[in-house]
Amino acid sequence: MDIGGVLENTILQFIGFNACYYAIAAIGLNVQFGFTGLLNFGQAAFMAAGAYGVGQTVTIFGISLWWGVGIGIAYAVFLGLLMGMPTLRLRADYLAIVTIASAEIVRLVVRSVKFRDQFGGTDGLSGFASAYQGVGVDLGLQPAGEYGFWIFTFSGRNLWNLLVGWSLVAIFGLIVWRLMKSPWGRVLKAIREDEDAVRSLGKNVYSYKMQALVLGGVIGSFAGMMLALGNANVQPDNFSRDLTFFVLTGLVIGGVAKVTGSIVGPMLFWAIYAFLDSLLRELVDKPVRIGDFTLIQSTDIGSVVFMVMGLLLILLMVYRPQGLFGNKKEMAFEGR
Amino acid sequence: MKDADDLSGTDAVDPTAPVDAVDAVDADGAAPRVQSDTALVARAALATVAPEPGASKPDPILVASGIRRSFGGIVAVDVDKFEVQRGSITALIGPNGAGKTTFFNLMTGFDKPNTGVWSFDGVAMNGVAPHRMAKRGMVRTFQLTKSLTKLPVIENMKLGATDQKGEKWWNGLFPGLWKAQEAEIEARADELLRRFKLDHMREEYAGALSGGQRKLLEMARALMTDPTLVMLDEPMAGVNPALKQSLNHHVRGLRDLGMTVLFVEHDMDMVHDISDWVIVMAEGQVIAEGTPDDISSNPAVIDAYLGAHQGRTLLEDQA
Amino acid sequence: MMQLVVGTFQHLAGRRRAGQTLVQLVVAVFVALVALAGVAAPASAEGESIRVQVKDQQRDANGKANNQPVAGVSVTVLDGSGAEIGTGVTDDKGAVLIEVPGRADYVVRIDEGTLPDGQALSAESPAEQQVSADSFVTAIRTVNFFIGASQSESTSTTERIAQRFADGIRLGLIIAMCSVGLSLIFGTTGLTNFAHGELVTFGAMIAYFLNDRGVHVLLAAPLAVIAGGMLGYSFDRYGFARFRKRGIGLISQMVITLGLSIMLKNLYLWRFGGRDKPFLNYTNQVGTQIGPITITLRDLTVTILAAIVLVVVALTLQYTRLGKATRAVSDNVDLASSTGIDSSKVIRIIWVSGAALAALGGVFRGLDESVSWDMGTSLLFLMFAGITLGGLGSAFGALVGGFVVGVLVETSTLLGVPTELKAAPALVILILILLVRPQGILGRAQRVG
Repeated sequence: MDIGGVLENTILQFIGFNACYYAIAAIGLNVQFGFTGLLNFGQAAFMAAGAYGVGQTVTIFGISLWWGVGIGIAYAVFLGLLMGMPTLRLRADYLAIVTIASAEIVRLVVRSVKFRDQFGGTDGLSGFASAYQGVGVDLGLQPAGEYGFWIFTFSGRNLWNLLVGWSLVAIFGLIVWRLMKSPWGRVLKAIREDEDAVRSLGKNVYSYKMQALVLGGVIGSFAGMMLALGNANVQPDNFSRDLTFFVLTGLVIGGVAKVTGSIVGPMLFWAIYAFLDSLLRELVDKPVRIGDFTLIQSTDIGSVVFMVMGLLLILLMVYRPQGLFGNKKEMAFEGR
Repeated sequence: MKDADDLSGTDAVDPTAPVDAVDAVDADGAAPRVQSDTALVARAALATVAPEPGASKPDPILVASGIRRSFGGIVAVDVDKFEVQRGSITALIGPNGAGKTTFFNLMTGFDKPNTGVWSFDGVAMNGVAPHRMAKRGMVRTFQLTKSLTKLPVIENMKLGATDQKGEKWWNGLFPGLWKAQEAEIEARADELLRRFKLDHMREEYAGALSGGQRKLLEMARALMTDPTLVMLDEPMAGVNPALKQSLNHHVRGLRDLGMTVLFVEHDMDMVHDISDWVIVMAEGQVIAEGTPDDISSNPAVIDAYLGAHQGRTLLEDQA
Repeated sequence: MMQLVVGTFQHLAGRRRAGQTLVQLVVAVFVALVALAGVAAPASAEGESIRVQVKDQQRDANGKANNQPVAGVSVTVLDGSGAEIGTGVTDDKGAVLIEVPGRADYVVRIDEGTLPDGQALSAESPAEQQVSADSFVTAIRTVNFFIGASQSESTSTTERIAQRFADGIRLGLIIAMCSVGLSLIFGTTGLTNFAHGELVTFGAMIAYFLNDRGVHVLLAAPLAVIAGGMLGYSFDRYGFARFRKRGIGLISQMVITLGLSIMLKNLYLWRFGGRDKPFLNYTNQVGTQIGPITITLRDLTVTILAAIVLVVVALTLQYTRLGKATRAVSDNVDLASSTGIDSSKVIRIIWVSGAALAALGGVFRGLDESVSWDMGTSLLFLMFAGITLGGLGSAFGALVGGFVVGVLVETSTLLGVPTELKAAPALVILILILLVRPQGILGRAQRVG
């Protein structure tokens, strides 16, 4: 069994592209869920907003790629307002329901035949990322070239994606960290614990919640943009129902309400995923049977690993809800 | 004449002793308290008011009329006229189920009446959201203390300040824009914490404070909003007797600083001790008003409490 | 191995009781695993084939179809390159089975010369049909050819509307059935159970597992309902009741239900596979005319049974002591407890019956539209729309709201909503209701911010 290969995959996914755009999404989700207590279970919709925003620029709208950033942000703001307006004055659960529903509808719309002309249907959109890739080339990274050392050898294209992606993680991490230390952040943390107390002190709770929802959503849209640019295409299947939940799992692993947690958590999520996945693939090269009954074969590995990740989320919430970096004293979810 | 700024009481007080010890000292009554300037002014104004339900006050800060609130067929509140004299400490009392807390919630914007109008400081308040009321100078506390346990004490306090530039998200990123104001706010917060003898707990999470300390924190935090009217919802609920004198000091101190205080209470000692005026509710209506002396001899009030637990605190009721 | 796992958990949790909980939880999961084990049915030794059916629509003066089998029609199957794979002639039942070498693209062609004299293929039924490789749901792929008048000429608007309503009623009843539990769990414990869809799928999975092993669906269904009830029991007893006691907050519990949802969905995907599979009984029925609609006997039975079940549920809630206790606890837990109702017992019962009803809904849905690993997940969002419309926490609200959502979703296609997006109106309803009347039709107004 190639343990070396398993470990190599684990390490590469730990710092890899998936971890990177998940981290951006988790930073955004943290603003909403971790710091403000908003149950946004539809971060995938915001990610799709950003991804399709950049995807549509060249192929659908025929404009320069860089407008896509603005369009993605605009879509995200629109979504945030749409989801927030009916729900932010009500119980937290309503936002959860509406966000899950919205993510589902967004998914159905972008993969529909009816809106093929706008969103590319099940095939999605492609052929828009050359301007982005061009910047990398201009900076000296040949797409096909090999850079790095030992196991950290990447093609120019991948290296460029990683550089841009992790820079975005650093930028957003810093922004959120600064914001949460400001009086604005203080209000959000107070809202998370007790809205009425905050209202009695003269703050417009609804407005703050909306700000947090939209900000978190806009950051999420950048995660989608990164995904689209990195893959050089946008597919509806990228935004599966479970995407938000996996981002949430990553966030919980790292520790809610901690910026470090929102970055390291998704990295760990992917490392654990890669470890289990590679390990299983090593162990299950032939279908494992018990008599006539097939326990597991290689096509099952994906779902088995996700099953374990789901179990992991449950165990975390029961035994260590503050995750790796979280502060138990600050865990505002008990008794809510 | 007592100096209006001296809130430590006329009795000798050791400022470094923890709050509870201080109160134990004067709980058994040392020299009778001398009335402050503002107390005398308030009582003089109220002396001209007839002790009748719905009586008009010479300078009302809060005026309500025709307030009705019903829940599925049960009329919880039905108040014709309600006025609170500016600069006074007014108590709102009544037996359990009288509708005091509901009325309180209505006045502070945490509930909407079915009919009725009311105004604060001359400005109509119908349909105004609770946070706007606070901005206008009306602040309230809660019966179940809402000290934000996941925030340190000093952050709790700083949260109370209004018009903070740093609370706008576009400013949040640029500390330069709000650091100066934050420092001012922090200085004010520390001053208040010293006054309420909580400064030694400054960095602690509010969750680590005792119940009584949290009450004080909530009151101190409310003062950060620089209010004109302070509405206290059962401030003595669940407070140990040793702390009650301290709370009384602070409530009197509020009036002495020019604020008006309206509080809901079951604790008759507190009501007699510090209120300038008492309004009595029963079954949703105002049945009597007057000075504490007027009220204790009012047969209608005694009737309303007959069968209920007269003069005992909520805590004793539950024992 | 189990000992190691258990021991580790005990050590981690630090307490024996927690260790016991985990043992029970793990055992429960293991049992479920084994139970679902065989759902990945051993592949039949037969190869693939295409069943060709030729039907005579025999539309009457009003345009209503009454499909009759057409015998003696010659059929040819060609592969992607046009080479002939096999031929056959339809039998008395109007069908012929032609073996094919595997799941690939084929063309099925009717020899029009062999059609009965004076008859021709109907307008929407071409002489050639394409069969793609991934349309093989089971080893047998059915292809239908129709002769007679064209369908679109003879289906009037009334019929279309009636048909959509019939489908909507069926969907609505199923959603209502599935969501009663969801609404009551919310009402009594404050928990929004995001894994409820998986309880629906569970019912279908168990029924399929039994059905696949030869148990007729009429027996498999009640067994699946019992299994569903047991699963609901375990969720509360070993899960949520303990979480409540431990003081784990509602938001944490909600995230736990998310984890459960992921876990169960992938469990189903693993053991059942990614393709839709129908139950083995009552498939391929021909529709009969009832008034303006065409409906198979199966669908009609499902509709009637669902309606009966819901009436029973409604009567139970309204008139029995248990029903009244349930409604009381759902309305106000503390108040109910103070009148002597054992709230935890009522909550337990709600979990059991809610899950059982969801399982039944899953079986019905499986009969309606085949079983798939994510069938419950697709329904979940419609369920949420339904209970929000009806009023979160109200059982009657769930019944009414779920029903309305079902009807609306199916009839929305009449208004031009494409079938692939017919769930979208549910979201619109959801948003509108929250804007206009957040407590829903039957909910109590709560103080909102």
